[in-house]
Amino acid sequence: MNAQARKEALRFLFTPIVDRLGYKFTPAEEDADFLLEQVAGLEAQTGIPYCPCRARTRDRAENMRIVCPCIPFHRAHYDAMRRCWCGLFVHKDVTDPDKLRQIPESKVENR
Amino acid sequence: MEHAAEAIELSKLAGGIPAAVFPLGLPVLLIRLGAEVFALENRCAHLGCPLAGGRLDGYLLQCPCHDWRFDIRDGRFIDAPELAVKTYAAEIKDGKVFVRIPL
Amino acid sequence: MKKVTIYALSTCLWCRKTKKYFEEKKVPFKAVDYDKQDEDSQEKMMEEMRAAGCSGSFPFIRIGSDCTQGYDPDEFEKLLNKQ
Repeated sequence: MNAQARKEALRFLFTPIVDRLGYKFTPAEEDADFLLEQVAGLEAQTGIPYCPCRARTRDRAENMRIVCPCIPFHRAHYDAMRRCWCGLFVHKDVTDPDKLRQIPESKVENR
Repeated sequence: MEHAAEAIELSKLAGGIPAAVFPLGLPVLLIRLGAEVFALENRCAHLGCPLAGGRLDGYLLQCPCHDWRFDIRDGRFIDAPELAVKTYAAEIKDGKVFVRIPL
Repeated sequence: MKKVTIYALSTCLWCRKTKKYFEEKKVPFKAVDYDKQDEDSQEKMMEEMRAAGCSGSFPFIRIGSDCTQGYDPDEFEKLLNKQ
């Protein structure tokens, strides 16, 4: 499967999942395309569509918490930012994702 | 409308070991626990991996691909209740397992 | 001028934006891509990030003796100007 086809397939697979979780693909098309390409690239390289902005370690259980879409495993954090860490998904009501801030997990928990 | 489709002989269904069956051609997973048989879609709600081959821990089935865990009683995904795999009613009759498939 | 180090992933959009921010500000920085390191170096980087109270999310930025996580120009500005 070529990279473009896999990107489209991942978009197709992720859309209903994130929809039920209250999220959508970021309306920043260029960012969405870049991020999806990275996810597809990581999947091609490792067999698993990991988050492009989170680190993999030697711990499988930890790694499984950053497989895209990883919203279920970081709900409070992402809900506070109104988008996921890498920015591929935003809350459904977000129209201008550039106004959102990246907030470290540690600062969300301390609130 | 639903159809009770014959899936497998009960004697061929080992306890606690998920078995892939295809009633009416659908990918269904049967799990026998004690006197009960649970039937769910054999396709993960994440990326569609077959759940057969997943690890069963009590009523929780863990997908072999990315470890998403589902409750086999209602199909619910443990880490987000909005997501689930489809479940079907299973019944045992004359030593056979039937799965009720909506038509 | 404060010493700036950016821990990044080569696949991360916000890491790119962070590097661009410092480039445009003409603040020299050292950037290390976590995913381009061997496993031992990765473990060391992760230990350092965790010791600073951060999870394994990128970018991770050291500005002088402070550190922050994520692309946040306001925070970068604040830390660069902190006395």
